[in-house]
Amino acid sequence: MADTAQATSALVRRNGPSADLAIVAGVELGSAILLWSFLLSDRTAVIVALLALMGGIFAALQLRPALEERIVAAFHDRKRFATLLGAVIVLIYPFFLQGSGYAFHLLIVSMLYAVLALALNFQLGSANIPNFATGASYGIGAYTSALLALNFGVSFWLTLPVAAVVATAFGFLLGFPSMRTKESYLALVTIAFGIVVHQLLNNFDWTGGPNGLVGIPAPELFGHSFARPIEAFGFRLPSQANFYYLSAALVGLSIVCAKRLHESRVGLAWNALRADPLAARCQGIDVVWFKMLAFGVDAFLAAFAGTIYAFYVSYISPDNFTFLVSVTIMTMVIVGGMDNTLGVIIGAFFLTMLPEKLRIFSDYRLLFVGVVVILFLILRPQGLFPQRARNYGEHR
Amino acid sequence: MDALLAQHLLNWLVLGSIYTLIALGFSLLFGVLDVIHFSHGDVSMAAPFVALAAIQAVAAWAVPLTGTGALLLAILISMAAIGLLGVLLDWLVIRRFRAAPAMMALVATVALGTVIRELIRTLYPQGSNPKPFPAIATDVIRLGDIVVPVFSLIVIAVSVLTVIALFALLNHTPVGVRIRAVAEDRAVARLMAIRPNRIFAVTFFIASAVGAVGAVFFVSHAGVVRFDYGVQLGLIGFSAAVIGGLGSMQGAILGSLLIAGIDMLVQIAVPDGASYRLVFIFLLVIGVLVLKPSGILGKPVFEKV
Repeated sequence: MADTAQATSALVRRNGPSADLAIVAGVELGSAILLWSFLLSDRTAVIVALLALMGGIFAALQLRPALEERIVAAFHDRKRFATLLGAVIVLIYPFFLQGSGYAFHLLIVSMLYAVLALALNFQLGSANIPNFATGASYGIGAYTSALLALNFGVSFWLTLPVAAVVATAFGFLLGFPSMRTKESYLALVTIAFGIVVHQLLNNFDWTGGPNGLVGIPAPELFGHSFARPIEAFGFRLPSQANFYYLSAALVGLSIVCAKRLHESRVGLAWNALRADPLAARCQGIDVVWFKMLAFGVDAFLAAFAGTIYAFYVSYISPDNFTFLVSVTIMTMVIVGGMDNTLGVIIGAFFLTMLPEKLRIFSDYRLLFVGVVVILFLILRPQGLFPQRARNYGEHR
Repeated sequence: MDALLAQHLLNWLVLGSIYTLIALGFSLLFGVLDVIHFSHGDVSMAAPFVALAAIQAVAAWAVPLTGTGALLLAILISMAAIGLLGVLLDWLVIRRFRAAPAMMALVATVALGTVIRELIRTLYPQGSNPKPFPAIATDVIRLGDIVVPVFSLIVIAVSVLTVIALFALLNHTPVGVRIRAVAEDRAVARLMAIRPNRIFAVTFFIASAVGAVGAVFFVSHAGVVRFDYGVQLGLIGFSAAVIGGLGSMQGAILGSLLIAGIDMLVQIAVPDGASYRLVFIFLLVIGVLVLKPSGILGKPVFEKV
């Protein structure tokens, strides 16, 4: 252990600050270009080659942990530059998508799933509370805002917080049984809750039954309708670009929330719960409250994603929010790496785009995804990016 | 006794028996392996497809068997095949999650369920379409006003016999003693010269074969089978095992009868009950777990640091 630590710190010292900048810029631009080529390629050979390249990169990281340490160290030392560059890349990304509606759609859905996965990560990752009902909270958010907009003409911006509050109330309600049940039993309670929500949405008249809700109006901001294309700097971006920026803002907000919560006493309490609930209680942590809070936070963020989804596709039906959706979100968190914000986001992108891009395998695509997930869980059980030890003060 | 009531009671027992056959597998596997085998429903639901293929194979090889005889042979073949499938899945996938956290195994077996469903859908000819499944028996016996289908009697009898056989196996045979030893403590069982991996394989075979019978009964009851029926059947079987208390055989039976009971009651008493049955079933599940957090017959867990 000590040897590796020394070797890595030697590696860190050998490269100066300018190397840090180069590494950060290289990693961020490299990932952006990789994602770009993956999004816009439609030839089987290219997609397979890109997947192989990604596999190769992860294999390299797996076999040479020092490489990963080096990158992490660079990002740690150049935090401001990394954030700034990331924000710039996200801002100008739409201009390179050649107006491809499909690429925009994939990006938006991936980002919404990233938010859902981050929401679940508070529970599953930080506090190790299973929740198979994130899909239900997502649905409650989507339906609440859609119903408000359709029946009462409430504007998108007002439905956002209302939907979040409603979903959070349901989240706390779901949290009640968690006071006593745990592990598999708690997992079943959340599964049951998800199914009850789905079935009710499917059967009530006022939710449109299995047909769902149609014709949700596009949001407006300062007189600019989100259904219209953006025209800026002589460029013309398709109307999806509106929702791209909206979702990106939500992802940004989620990341900030995740970071702030992780660094607060709440995050510490959740981690203590994960380590040992009984020991946490002996330390004076209000276990019940923090468990309930985890359910509430999960539902709160999920409802935001739901609202944006509803207004983006303008059509929702109960089948968008099934048990399998919740399982997919759960898989994203586990594959990405529990309690690791970046890992969870990458997991969400990976698992949203993989089935879409595997349309070349048409009928075998779900089969393929299932096999990939199982192989992943066997070969890298800690996830793409495992959780990192809490780090106080200077880097190492 | 009211004839209608008797009819409902009979239907309740049939449904309860079918759910029991699935729930027993969940409970047995959890009790012995400490793993929630979420694809159990999908594994079981592969049985009707094997049976359908076997019926055709039997007919093609001109074996002088038709009707019920051919169907029985097909069911036996599917039991053996699904039992072996269970062993194979354990060997390929599930054994790799023995030491992993519970949620990992859960997610892995959910993915495994998807793989099984997709394999059936893509490999079975026209696998996406519902397939008619032959009735095991169409005769009825009339007792006064009550119509008793022979099929119902077969389902109940087979389930009761299966449960008795399972209890006998677990409590009165050398294999049963080994299974219980491994369930109690894997490490100590090894010291007693028991090979846990072998016991796990046996357990998987038993659980999957029993589940196969349940699935065949289920689709024969419905008259039709589709590749994704295993999801709902698995969820209901899992719920029955959990509210009864995971790892307890009696609990699995009790939970199944409870769920079948609410299923029947809702369909009889609630207007438009058929579309709300899942709502009530899973509300019952939540209700039971709120009152009894480790199931009705589950052992209370004592926390240790």
